Amino acid sequence: MHHRMLDHFAGGETPVHRLDPAAKTVALLAAVLATVLVGREHFLPLLPTVIALAAYHALARAPVWYVAKRLLVISPFAAAIIVLFPFLEPGRAVWTLPVGTWTVEVTREGLLRAGHLAAKFLLCAWATVLLLATTRFQDVLQALGRLRVPRVFVVQLAFLYRYLWVLLDEGMRLRMARAARDGGAGPWRVRFQSSVGVVGVLFLRTYDRAERIYWAMTARGFDGTLHGTTQAHMHLTDWIVVIGVCAAAVAVVVWDRVAYG
Amino acid sequence: MAEPVLELEDVRYRYPTGAEALRGVTFSVEAGERVGLVGPNGAGKSTLLLAMAGFVSAQGKIRVAGHRLTRGTARDVRRHLGLVFQDADNQLFMPRVGDDVAFGPVTMGLAPEEVRSRVAEALASVGLEGYEAREPYHLSVGEKRRAALATVLAMRPQILALDEPSANLDPRGRRMLIELLPGLSNTLLLIGHDLDMILDVCGRTIVMDAGRVVADGPSSKVLADRDLLETHGLELPLTLAARNGDTEPRP
Repeated sequence: MHHRMLDHFAGGETPVHRLDPAAKTVALLAAVLATVLVGREHFLPLLPTVIALAAYHALARAPVWYVAKRLLVISPFAAAIIVLFPFLEPGRAVWTLPVGTWTVEVTREGLLRAGHLAAKFLLCAWATVLLLATTRFQDVLQALGRLRVPRVFVVQLAFLYRYLWVLLDEGMRLRMARAARDGGAGPWRVRFQSSVGVVGVLFLRTYDRAERIYWAMTARGFDGTLHGTTQAHMHLTDWIVVIGVCAAAVAVVVWDRVAYG
Repeated sequence: MAEPVLELEDVRYRYPTGAEALRGVTFSVEAGERVGLVGPNGAGKSTLLLAMAGFVSAQGKIRVAGHRLTRGTARDVRRHLGLVFQDADNQLFMPRVGDDVAFGPVTMGLAPEEVRSRVAEALASVGLEGYEAREPYHLSVGEKRRAALATVLAMRPQILALDEPSANLDPRGRRMLIELLPGLSNTLLLIGHDLDMILDVCGRTIVMDAGRVVADGPSSKVLADRDLLETHGLELPLTLAARNGDTEPRP
């Protein structure tokens, strides 16, 4: 089985693909900070980030559907919280609905807050998706290592990325084996029980695999420390990008504080 | 007579469940020898391999490249005993093939230049030149198996021990491996059921059953002994059966 990898378009040959992964990671962090630090309901200070990401997107030549699909996949997690704000935020009611003795109110402030949060979320997610659309995942990991992110987190991410697809394959094989015998039909209770069985077997296999991977690592001298091999260096362009983006991010935050208080 | 690089003396192991997996295994392997270790499922072959590397603590004496295996020497022993596990996905745990092959040399503390040259050399010796940046997940089963072999070759172990190297390989992948293995200068221990491969590659065969060594001798003799093989849940290799004009299964 073959899964479309997270960094499917990362092998491109555009100027943004060629930037140092560490420079891109720092620039992404700056863009995310400039987004989250913008005050409540201030929409205009988000505009520079929109323009910067749109320019990056265009330079990366990443298909719009590719980015949109990924944003759609992660949106429900944020949407689950964001949809509550129009009802919870106190303010001027724009719509009321009596439910028995209760009255549900949608407030203008609540709608603005939800819209602002949604915009912030989409910008942060867009930036992350763009990073992975232009940088191979292992290069991002290496960049995190160079940026002194604790080794244990980087290693965890590396193993997750390496074995996620292997486990998905195993899960799919188990599901196919089940479907081959029950034809995808059968009473829901039986199907539920067998699903629990599939999860249980997958867990045991994961446990078993983890032990074997550990053996394979110790067989080659692993003593608890993972050493990197490849060395990368920042070039002038990378420094210009990092300094430029960080300065722009600071400018946005300062502008937001000065103009809106 | 050549020095033995692997010596096992009365090696015993009991699973935590109480079942006896190894019941006194004794044999030795000389430097440069290519030995096949065969036996039915549950004979204790893979457990013996784990015991040799100190992953399961067995009783008895195990000596690898002059090092007596104890809890304290397990690391030294593993430097000389290159284990290639059956499932290459477990062996290839780094995001890139190059990093995986470099893993052993780097943990050995070699200089970056030496690591790079060993990686290139190991990949070339298994016919995977230029695979450094490839992701293991995207390799075919045969390529994964060869990459797994390279991860161990880069450490230049004295003994190369492969567990079921031809499992799940197509005939071409299997043939490539058969042609590749004799070219490696290491002492070779091949474990599995592929008796034709063992006949092709190994001059000596050890048969194990129920945790014991039941036969040990030249492959041409041991693997031609139909009664011995059938008593222990094995079959005559196809090449020998065909040579005898004896391809019909026995009733």
